[in-house]
Amino acid sequence: MSDNRAKSDILQGMLDMLVLKVVAHEPLHGYGVAQRLRLLSQDRLQIPQGSLYPALHRLENRGLLKSQWRDTATGREAKFYELTAKGRRRLDEEVSGWRELSVAISMIIGTT
Amino acid sequence: MTWLGRLFGRAKLERELNTEIRFHLEEHIRGLIAAGLTPDQARREARMSLGGPEQVKEETRDARGTAWLEDWWHDTRFALRTMRRAPGFTAAAVLTLAVGIGANSAVFSLVDALLLKTLPLNRPDQLFVVARAGVQDANERFSYPRFSRLRASLPESAGLAAMTPAARMFAAFGATPEVVTTQLVSGEWFPVVGVAPAAGRLLGPGDNQTLSGHPVTVISYAYWNRRFGRSPSVVGSTLRINGTPLTVVGVSAEGFFGLTVGEQVDAWIPAVMQIDLRYHQNASNTDGETERPWVPQEGMAWLWLVARVPAAVVGPSVARLNKVNTEDLRQLAATDTAERRYRLQERLVLNSAARGLSPLREEFSDPLVALMISVGLVLLIACANLASLLLARSTARSREIAVRVSLGARPGRLVRQVLTESLTLALIGGALSIVVARAGGAALLRAASSSKRGIPLDLPLDLRLLAFAFGISLLTGLIFGLAPAAQVARANLYDTFKTGGRVTGGRGVKLPLGRVLVVSQIALSLVLVVVAGLFARTLHNLLAIDPGYDREQVVEARIDVRAAGYDQEHLAPLYQRLLDAVRAAPGVRSVSLSLHGLAGGSARTSGLTIPGESRPPGFDNAAQENLVTPEYFATVGMPILRGRGFGPYDGPKTPQVVIVNEAMARYFFGSRDPIGLRFGYDENANMEVVGVVRDAKVNELREATPRMVFHPLAQAPEEFISSIEARISGPVALVVPAVKRAVASVDQNLPIRDVTTVGELLERGLQREQFASELASLFGALAALLASIGLYGMISYSVARRTNELGIRLALGAKPKEVRWLVIRETLSLVAGGLGLGLLLLLPLVGAMRRLVYGLSPRDPATIVFAAGLLLLIGALAGAIPAWRASRVDPATALRAE
Repeated sequence: MSDNRAKSDILQGMLDMLVLKVVAHEPLHGYGVAQRLRLLSQDRLQIPQGSLYPALHRLENRGLLKSQWRDTATGREAKFYELTAKGRRRLDEEVSGWRELSVAISMIIGTT
Repeated sequence: MTWLGRLFGRAKLERELNTEIRFHLEEHIRGLIAAGLTPDQARREARMSLGGPEQVKEETRDARGTAWLEDWWHDTRFALRTMRRAPGFTAAAVLTLAVGIGANSAVFSLVDALLLKTLPLNRPDQLFVVARAGVQDANERFSYPRFSRLRASLPESAGLAAMTPAARMFAAFGATPEVVTTQLVSGEWFPVVGVAPAAGRLLGPGDNQTLSGHPVTVISYAYWNRRFGRSPSVVGSTLRINGTPLTVVGVSAEGFFGLTVGEQVDAWIPAVMQIDLRYHQNASNTDGETERPWVPQEGMAWLWLVARVPAAVVGPSVARLNKVNTEDLRQLAATDTAERRYRLQERLVLNSAARGLSPLREEFSDPLVALMISVGLVLLIACANLASLLLARSTARSREIAVRVSLGARPGRLVRQVLTESLTLALIGGALSIVVARAGGAALLRAASSSKRGIPLDLPLDLRLLAFAFGISLLTGLIFGLAPAAQVARANLYDTFKTGGRVTGGRGVKLPLGRVLVVSQIALSLVLVVVAGLFARTLHNLLAIDPGYDREQVVEARIDVRAAGYDQEHLAPLYQRLLDAVRAAPGVRSVSLSLHGLAGGSARTSGLTIPGESRPPGFDNAAQENLVTPEYFATVGMPILRGRGFGPYDGPKTPQVVIVNEAMARYFFGSRDPIGLRFGYDENANMEVVGVVRDAKVNELREATPRMVFHPLAQAPEEFISSIEARISGPVALVVPAVKRAVASVDQNLPIRDVTTVGELLERGLQREQFASELASLFGALAALLASIGLYGMISYSVARRTNELGIRLALGAKPKEVRWLVIRETLSLVAGGLGLGLLLLLPLVGAMRRLVYGLSPRDPATIVFAAGLLLLIGALAGAIPAWRASRVDPATALRAE
């Protein structure tokens, strides 16, 4: 299960940003968020599912996400998370912050 | 959702979280099956990638932020449920805690009121008393003229006031006189102290200008309330104190008692009224005239000085006070150069009076601290009992705990739950303890006080007491919850499941924590029992002291001739009538009069000069004096050892004669025969020693024998006596009323303060020791009882857990006696361990106890051996029942339980 040995040292802040980003497109349930993260990163990122739920609840608690119980395509009830206005603002900030940071890091790495 | 809403919607959230996680797992499994895994593989894979579901839930709950609150709520409810399930245990625990914490809070309320609390005044930190330092025989009294000079020298922002110690006087408002507590003060006193009036006005500098010219008084709120029902018409009315009519000009603020903690002053009177109020106490007289007004006299030092000095000017104020004082000393100091140099070493210092003055503090602070420690130790022992009980229960619950740990509950979470349980218990006990504290505090005050009215010390139910009780409750809960919590934290799944909670050990029984607790209980009990023993033996030793006179057959009547308004020329006939009347009373064999009675608490001390002797500077030339009628020595039972007693031939016109005691003769005359030697108050040696009387502790039992000089009353007929002694032959209960009637028959208005045996008076002087001894015995007994319960519980538990081992031993032929001995040996080894530890704990106590014991060493071997023996006996008794039970184990039953 080598693919399961995730990059568990992903910083909490980064996980929050990725979760916000994934949920920004459409409301998703927890399992959906995990799947989407895996798909979008083409299996490069395997979020430890154990830390996904604490993150979702933490973001909801801070008012960055809101949740709703509704039926899935398969007709089962699940908790769907979506972005709040506050969450969208935070996502924008985080993303632009990350862009600047990654540009800076690439520049440094590129020069050596 | 608010956190409150979330807290109460907890069950719903919990349900949702379950659904959410389950949904996740099922979706994952479905996906994995679709990807080609078998259902079993898929289920395993899904679980592995999620981690333990309980753990995820726990972390998610934590992430919600209110987890601690929810946990707390959950834990508290769990704790309350557990407590309800075991009502017997809960009741015992809560009761133990209520008493334990309550006793601590009660002692604390006393300690706080007496030792810690500042006076209920504005900026008490600015209050100081002026004290002398630098010389040996420093006293804190000043003359009025010197007070005035010192006051004038101080900076603008500082104030200085003078006051007398509280004095008992007779007040009459209309009908019968009653005893009140009064204080003479200078006009600056109220402004300096900083108190407001509740009605009318207070005394000011304008009330203390002309000698005998200000017949006014301010009464305290307490007296206003007690005597006048807070009637506003009292202000402006006349109150006669010691015969002098005074106008009540105002009432001081509610709650103001004066500056002495534990003493309620009823009335304050301007100091210039001293002679009118016949105030004649506590003066240090150097060439003064006691029967003339004291205010203008340099030689009469009779006032304490209290100052209000802001922190910024303390330094300059002390400097200026000393400048004036040193100047005064230069003028007044003795001519002898060495003596002069010595006297000039005197310095004035400002001692903080923020917590008030208190003779009670000096008298009770050592015993109170000992008390606080003792009662704290009792609580610790009680904690150990509760800890053992909880420990036993948590051991019984070890399987449940192990199951929860394996389901993903973190140890921290379980520890918190155990602690919540102990804290809940402690807080319920703490709440109940307030009742105990209130009742206990009042009872302590009554026990500590000698007078019928009790000590007027306010023990309010204030925030300080509540905070103390709350703090102690928390601490208690933590202490007795810690052991079970540690046990939970160390929970070892493997062992627990393997042994099924059974113990098969022979020698090393498990539960070492429990043994540690029992051993420390016994150690602490040893300390408390030893302390109780030391106090009891101290009291016994003190009571056994021979005071040097007869204590049971002598009755003393305290009277106040001055307050009855007698002039000096009418004293001699009065004295004769008193002697005749009391002598004629039934049951009285002989009678005498004296200036100061035995065990009376007041004394006159003078400096003596022996002609032709040179003394080193600072030599204490003081001796205590008394004036007595000729029958005094025979009446009180003080034998004359050499020379003669006083007789009718010693009168105002004959040469002055004195009788000294052995201590005085030894100190001043050494090995010389004192009979015929002469001395005086100055170089004029006008007194001749005619007799030597046996040494006696005339003031109190604890004292070193004072040096005494007796004068015949007939040679100083202008002195006001305060005591009548009668040697009796009948029962005390009958003679006392007869003596009272006899005194009243002479003068109805002569105030009688007290009529009682000298023995009773001496015992009253040991109030402090009696108080300490009674409480220490109570705590010692409580400690031994708690420790024996703890020991019994521990041994019973250990026997119960070893039932099958004991059964096998018996089945294999061990005799019941051997099994009994096995258990007793275990018990005694615990006790012995405790005693060893206790001895170590006792060592540092030795120094602290030195001042509190009398006639024995604080490490008195007999007391320690007795205490240790007592605890061994109690220990053996506590082990006897389990031992007997162990020897009666039926092997068949024991093995069937397997």
